[in-house]
Amino acid sequence: MKSTTRPLTAPGTTRVVAPRRAVARRPGTREQTVENPLRAGLRLERVPDPCTIVIFGATGDLTHRKILPALYNLRRAGLLPPESTVLAFARRNYSDEQYRVEMKDAVGRFSRVPLEPAIWDDFAAGLHYLQGEFGSVSSYRALEERLQSIDVARGTRGNRLFYLATPPSAYAEIVTNIGKVGLQKEGKGQGWARMVIEKPFGHDLDSARQLNAELDRVLAERQVYRIDHYLGKETVRNLLVFRFANGIFEPIWNRRYVDHVQITVAEDLGVEGRGSFYEEAGASRDIVQNHMLQLLSLVAMEPPIAFEADALRDEKVRVLHAVDPDWTEERVRQDVVRGQYAAGWVAGKEVPGYREEDEVDPDSSRDTFVALKLEVQNWRWADVPFYLRTGKRLPKRATEIAVRFKRPPLMLFRDAPSEPEPNLLALRIQPDEGILLRFASKVPELGLDVRSVNMDFTYGSSFSREAPEAYETLILDAMLGDASLFTRSDEVEAAWGIVTPMNETWADWDDRNELDTLHFYEAGSWGPEASDRLVERDGRRWRRL
Amino acid sequence: MAAIVTASLEATVVEGGATRWQGRASSIAEVEAQLTRIWTSAAEEVAHTPMSEAERSRAMGDPRLAHMLDAPEDVRVRTRTSVLTLVVVAPRPETTERAIDAVNLLAGRHPSRAIILSPGDPDGPPTLDARIVASCHVSGRGDSETCTEQIHLRVGGETAQHLSAVVAPLLIHDLPVVLWWPDEPPIGRRPFRELLETVDRLLVDSGSFGADGSRRLAGLAAVIAEGDAVVHDIGWMRLTLWRELLAGLFDHPLLQRETGRCKAIRIHIARPSGDFRTIKGALFVGWLAGQLDWEIAQPLASKSGSDSLFATLREGKHDIRVEFRPATGTAGEASVRSAGSLTRVELELGRGTSAIRAVVTRQQDHLLATAEWNGAPIIRRPGRLEAFGEAPYLGEALDLTGQDRVFERALARATRLIGG
Repeated sequence: MKSTTRPLTAPGTTRVVAPRRAVARRPGTREQTVENPLRAGLRLERVPDPCTIVIFGATGDLTHRKILPALYNLRRAGLLPPESTVLAFARRNYSDEQYRVEMKDAVGRFSRVPLEPAIWDDFAAGLHYLQGEFGSVSSYRALEERLQSIDVARGTRGNRLFYLATPPSAYAEIVTNIGKVGLQKEGKGQGWARMVIEKPFGHDLDSARQLNAELDRVLAERQVYRIDHYLGKETVRNLLVFRFANGIFEPIWNRRYVDHVQITVAEDLGVEGRGSFYEEAGASRDIVQNHMLQLLSLVAMEPPIAFEADALRDEKVRVLHAVDPDWTEERVRQDVVRGQYAAGWVAGKEVPGYREEDEVDPDSSRDTFVALKLEVQNWRWADVPFYLRTGKRLPKRATEIAVRFKRPPLMLFRDAPSEPEPNLLALRIQPDEGILLRFASKVPELGLDVRSVNMDFTYGSSFSREAPEAYETLILDAMLGDASLFTRSDEVEAAWGIVTPMNETWADWDDRNELDTLHFYEAGSWGPEASDRLVERDGRRWRRL
Repeated sequence: MAAIVTASLEATVVEGGATRWQGRASSIAEVEAQLTRIWTSAAEEVAHTPMSEAERSRAMGDPRLAHMLDAPEDVRVRTRTSVLTLVVVAPRPETTERAIDAVNLLAGRHPSRAIILSPGDPDGPPTLDARIVASCHVSGRGDSETCTEQIHLRVGGETAQHLSAVVAPLLIHDLPVVLWWPDEPPIGRRPFRELLETVDRLLVDSGSFGADGSRRLAGLAAVIAEGDAVVHDIGWMRLTLWRELLAGLFDHPLLQRETGRCKAIRIHIARPSGDFRTIKGALFVGWLAGQLDWEIAQPLASKSGSDSLFATLREGKHDIRVEFRPATGTAGEASVRSAGSLTRVELELGRGTSAIRAVVTRQQDHLLATAEWNGAPIIRRPGRLEAFGEAPYLGEALDLTGQDRVFERALARATRLIGG
């Protein structure tokens, strides 16, 4: 033998990180006492403990469209233990039976697969309704009693998943009252208690801090699951796999090779009857603060030390902290474009302008479009601009991240009639999730013509399985206690730290009546001209989608 | 899409979003030449097809800046995303039909090259007749397409004795090769062994093993033991729902600790007529034994005066009785699908005062798992019935890349249980 010492890692092999549990177990959470040896190797290797899902705001739109269809599909896939029970809690007066009829209709309409009556009947047997007032403690005592009787009748073992699907104004009240009755308590033999919260988490930095403080008074951070459904999408999760399971991209994923990054979240829809909501929010709060900054942190983050909730979120927060927060009025004027759609044509239909929509102030200055330039100030990304744009009433629905690489250092093919575009890697998130790589290629002719070609990979073409709905992924993760795809309190605050100063500057301008700071764009166009100038100023241009 | 017919190709058919090219060949070199021609013709077609607005926009930038681009025309490459080469050996004409149907069903989802081999008369003159079909399907929503190739080779005479030599030049470089043998594979015979050397994974259906099934099962275990290929078995996959339902019963707090206290297992197996096929039952019991560390004390044997077969397993000092009971029934009955299928699995568990019975039964249109504690029902869980056709299992098997350790353990014990 040549050597007595063995290298820890053989050359050319990957170091395999000691398998950590995907679910970070912490003291206080109840662990399943006995592992089931028969589960090994089965598709359903990880099945959550049976639990009662308490939905606050159970008669609302979100419950109809997303939550109930997701729960039904999980049940259908056998991922929801049959003991699991849904307890709908809302103000309206319904009987169990009335509620079931309404939800059967909702699931039939919004589920991604057709409703199968036999499975629905089985699921509906565990669907209950409790009428109550969010503000009255006695309603929560009734809830406690109901939960206890469900534990006995259905074997849900004291596990509770509270789902806040109400308007955000009700969050504080609900959390406080849950605390008063002690429904959030966990302990030996008591099962677990977790709370899923829908966005928005506040409307600015202060309100987010306040909401976090209110949650913190009643719940431990590990019990809180803030949903950003973008993180449940397959392609977003695949972004991590793409970056960290492939060896060839990471070496060029930095300022040396990347010229700039563009993140686009385009919607063709308008406010769709949610005018009053949108008047309060705007694109910056509705999309930039959560979805876009999440995408930014996933693209820009350093490799996490493990694929688990806190390791991932530590790295994501670090990116947000590295985004230059120094928003002087001058910088907002220079690097941010606030737009609003005027009347126009989208997909062959004439649509009204934002100010003509229902429930919208005819003089509203609300942003339906935002384009901005950010810099992530760390060693990896210094001087690489990240251009973000999002808007309503754009020509089509499209979400993608495009990484544009630098030009080759020397252009050898000078006589070529056309100069090829620099390489580009686009990660399409919707529709048609996939990856596109643009590279230069010789045109097969006698001369030497070089052209850009696209190599286009669509997920649908390589995998036979249908991707689950984001809500299915996320609700299942919450039941399994895996918080990787949920937003942590410091992440939320860091994101507001980027968006809030911008919003405050706009508010100042509105007060001073500086009308030229709001740029109008025709519905069906790719935003105001100012947005093009923002990028062209740096000698670049938006990708047309 | 404009149809271009090259002289050497039979036809280009465009139907319902799919483009097909066909060709014939009588040697491997011709097959390769045909494939090249097909893809060249396909590429020309794309280059001459005006791009759709969506395609243009993906390749180009903002229209208002298009003049800055100065790119005269965009070129799209027809990308072939292949994930594997599938080799199917189907000696009987009806198996060939079945195999082609299953492969067609999967074409859009598993872009791959499928080589279907139909070995003919080994004593005739050496022949090779190849039919090549390439097709590209445009995916439902977008403008991206997936392309697949099917090469159907009828070989006879000496050529049929050297299947691996036929297949080797046609494998896609560096992609996994899956060998699917829908009929009973001649494990241990030379053509099979040779072919096994060129592939990464072997897919069989132990449910189709006939009279000498136990020998074939042992052969399969040997393939795994020697590490020749990763083995997947459709017969085993058909047990997944049975396993899931039984395993699910033991998630219940009252049953969590009971897996260590099994006293008896009774498996009811469909036997419409003729021989008693025990392979599925053996795999199921082999699975329990493998996961729960039970030894095979006595392999299956018959007893006088009974139609059943009996065996004994051992856990520590305790014996576990095993009975395979034939379930008769008319062939038209849904509960009796085919010989060898499970119709009921029953475990008796518990020590001292508690008696537990965990049961999974096949109902008319679903499986049902129930558990009783001293006679009182405590769990009742329905589950969907497993799919009947092969295609879904083939699809699932193509998704599996690694070894299935649970199956391997189950197979090793099943082999001992039936005395292989």
